[in-house]
Amino acid sequence: MSVDLSKMRNIGISAHIDSGKTTLTERILFYTDRIHAIHDVRGKDGVGAKMDSMELERERGITIQSAATYCNWKGIDINIIDTPGHVDFTVEVERALRVLDGAVLVLCSVGGVQSQSITVNRQMDRYNVPRIAFINKCDRTGANPARVTGQLREKLGLNAHMIQLPIGLENDLLGVVDLVTMKAIYFDGANGEIMRQEEIPAGLQAAADVLREELLEAVSMFSDELMEAMLEEQAIEPSQVVEAIRKGTLALGFVPVMVGSAYKNKAVQPLLDAVQAYLPCPTDVENVALDLDHDEVEFKVSNDRNDPLIMLAFKLEDGRYGQLTYVRTYQGKLNKGDSIINVRTGKKVKVGRLVRMHSDEMEEIDGCGAGDIVALFGVDCASGDTFTDGTMSCSMSSMHIPAPVISLSVIPVDNKSQINMSKALNRFTKEDPTFKTFVDHETNETIISGMGELHLEVYVERMKREYNAVVEVGAPQVAYRETISMRADFNYTHKKQTGGSGQYGRVAGFMEPLEEGEYEFVDQIVGGSIPREFISSCDKGFQKSMVKGSLCGAPITGVRCTISDGAFHAVDSSDMAFQQAALGAFREGYMKAGPVIMEPIMKVAVEGPTEFQGAAMGSINQRRGIIIGTTEEGQYTVVEAEVPLSEMFGYSTTLRSLTQGKAEFTMEFATYRPVPKSVGEELIKKFQDEKKNS
Amino acid sequence: MRKEDLVVNNPLRVLGMGMKPKDDQQRMGLIMARAGLGKTAILVQIALDSILRGNRVLHVSIGEGVDKTRAWYDDILDLMVAGQKVDDLQEMVAEIMAKRMIMTFKESSFGPAKLEERLQDLIQQDIFRPDCMIIDGYDFATTNHAQLEEFKSFMVRHGLKTIWFSAISHRTDERVSAAGVPAPCHELDDLFEMILMVVAEKDAIKLNLLKCSSGAIAPGTSLLLDPSTMLIKKG
Repeated sequence: MSVDLSKMRNIGISAHIDSGKTTLTERILFYTDRIHAIHDVRGKDGVGAKMDSMELERERGITIQSAATYCNWKGIDINIIDTPGHVDFTVEVERALRVLDGAVLVLCSVGGVQSQSITVNRQMDRYNVPRIAFINKCDRTGANPARVTGQLREKLGLNAHMIQLPIGLENDLLGVVDLVTMKAIYFDGANGEIMRQEEIPAGLQAAADVLREELLEAVSMFSDELMEAMLEEQAIEPSQVVEAIRKGTLALGFVPVMVGSAYKNKAVQPLLDAVQAYLPCPTDVENVALDLDHDEVEFKVSNDRNDPLIMLAFKLEDGRYGQLTYVRTYQGKLNKGDSIINVRTGKKVKVGRLVRMHSDEMEEIDGCGAGDIVALFGVDCASGDTFTDGTMSCSMSSMHIPAPVISLSVIPVDNKSQINMSKALNRFTKEDPTFKTFVDHETNETIISGMGELHLEVYVERMKREYNAVVEVGAPQVAYRETISMRADFNYTHKKQTGGSGQYGRVAGFMEPLEEGEYEFVDQIVGGSIPREFISSCDKGFQKSMVKGSLCGAPITGVRCTISDGAFHAVDSSDMAFQQAALGAFREGYMKAGPVIMEPIMKVAVEGPTEFQGAAMGSINQRRGIIIGTTEEGQYTVVEAEVPLSEMFGYSTTLRSLTQGKAEFTMEFATYRPVPKSVGEELIKKFQDEKKNS
Repeated sequence: MRKEDLVVNNPLRVLGMGMKPKDDQQRMGLIMARAGLGKTAILVQIALDSILRGNRVLHVSIGEGVDKTRAWYDDILDLMVAGQKVDDLQEMVAEIMAKRMIMTFKESSFGPAKLEERLQDLIQQDIFRPDCMIIDGYDFATTNHAQLEEFKSFMVRHGLKTIWFSAISHRTDERVSAAGVPAPCHELDDLFEMILMVVAEKDAIKLNLLKCSSGAIAPGTSLLLDPSTMLIKKG
């Protein structure tokens, strides 16, 4: 394991569904000698790609869990995380990008910048991840890398420029022109493993000159040396261009665009060269931790293996040998047998086994250090926990975890399934922070919630396959919320005298809509009308009231409760009495505050041939959707809309039949919005009927 | 402040926009300016005003993406209501979303026939029936009288009340029509009922009325454009 951090790259491969991330990773592993045969994602040999180790992934041809591996390219250690493309598994991308230093954004040369590319790019921006764009599938009919580069600039606002030019496109794709060295590169051999360098074909020379000129102009902004050479019309060395591209990329001011076809074994090796040349090593990136001993002051982690250890657990997996915890080490080193402290729980744990992951295979290692991504065995923790060696108390900043938007009930068919189901749910909730489960005490049903239909479908299937838990699945339910639309006063007295000590508390004040945030409590009590020790009881009472709204039983959000007056009794007032008084006050104010039901609205993008644009728009319109806009590019069209999640169930089947299977859609959570009156009335009626029947 | 106040106080009232026409005639309008002087911002203000008056607007953006166009609407609306307490802002935003649709095309693939095909999809399925259309980024340098006339007959066929276009004028091209309309629209000005020109002067950006065929407003009437926000102000 190398300790020269300049020879290490931690990178992620992310993209829209079916852009070829896993195929690209498979080729990377092949060219770096990590695997000795290429298996395709949906290959006829039925083996499936190395990184899709889960049976379900190989069957469906999609990546569900991000998988980690590493390889060595020309003396550089590269840790790679291949992430899922489907938005339902977005947390996998989120946590991978949190710990990676650089990324390859893969795009389809036909589909271009698609909806999930936009989401992934936003995630990369969130964690300041320098990136290279790889326009894949240049062998496909309709491939147009220049158009995709334009979209990277227009749609994603990136300063993206091609550093390669394809030699031929579609069936005629032969290789690439490297615009840095101004040489043509061809890929010979059965698997494109032999790289042959030649002069640029005469027919492409003019185009290459123009693109190189554009490239130099763009990157010269990041290098005075290059700028000077250009102004003085000196000969420009490839090393000067590489240096300028690297500086621009690391400064997040430039995105080098590469082209090729992983499936056809074209131009994967130059991409690896670019990972080495343009993406950061751990010391190039600034990572900060919070010093818990000094008011959570931010400090830069050192990346030095001689400093105290700081590690972040970013992903958990339950395997045959117990819990596997993926960690990124930010400073210090860790050896097998060392003890580490979980900063959140304060618990000390001994690291018995340390492994390097290669998809589902593991390689035992004796130690790791700053910059490494490895996995630990038998360390009980939660995703996002920070570990240290105990000499310092600090925490790495957390990840962005989106809230679940869809839920369904799961009913085990027999006792055995019941036991297995709880084991499965226990594991899944620990592994995936966007997957939640709880028991609805009114219906006594187990409810699972997640990010989309596919997300839950996969977990139900995994329960069956991995735990032999057969469950009946109820209809999907939308995660509604309730909120208030206006200010309302409350003044409630809780008084109970049933022998023995009584209960007394009066709470007065008002509630009002809170624009940002879920709940806020404001104490404006003066003169001790409510004693200090009972103020927090009022807060607790309000928070309890918000767990379940009275309109449709959904959680209440977006409320600020202010207490300004009250009364107490020297003997009968207690914590419980004021909690009850606050509950009563909330109930009283809530119905006067114009309560409304909110539903999740999804941002939907339907992409497909132009001839089906009308059908796609019609189908969205029928689903209470608002069409935001349509984009037409050649024979391809994208309809963007906002549609209530409750109307999106079964949409994939509808769309498939409307468009002969030629259109696809993606959706992601956009916002919560009040439901229309008629829908609200229906939900209220349903909730009341359920209450009556329970 | 109510939605109606935004309509009544809109400086566009000075130009007579929103006044009921005496006949059922379809009207085309044109905003001209040099590059970067705020044509899109003006078109979006015209569109928002039209929506707040109850019309449905189809915004056709040529060469720009949906997100960018949508961002113009969000930004302009934010600026319009900044510092004012608007009753039920959320409801107003929802109304704007429901009454606006954005269509984007590549420059090379846009034309009246293509637009009509797309519009028919919307109208036949009763998805969206626009009253007003904004066409931003149309290439006047390569169009001709006959092509623009197609838009006129297109409006009649689909019951559109107005179409607003934007056009870029160039400093180097000094051709100008009798009404003072610069190239490349100097030979097309008879097709437009209203033509506005954005002019950058020493200490202000002006929105000058070059033509108003109804005669209700005298040519030469002008409004101002706030250079920092691109909001239209009374002169």
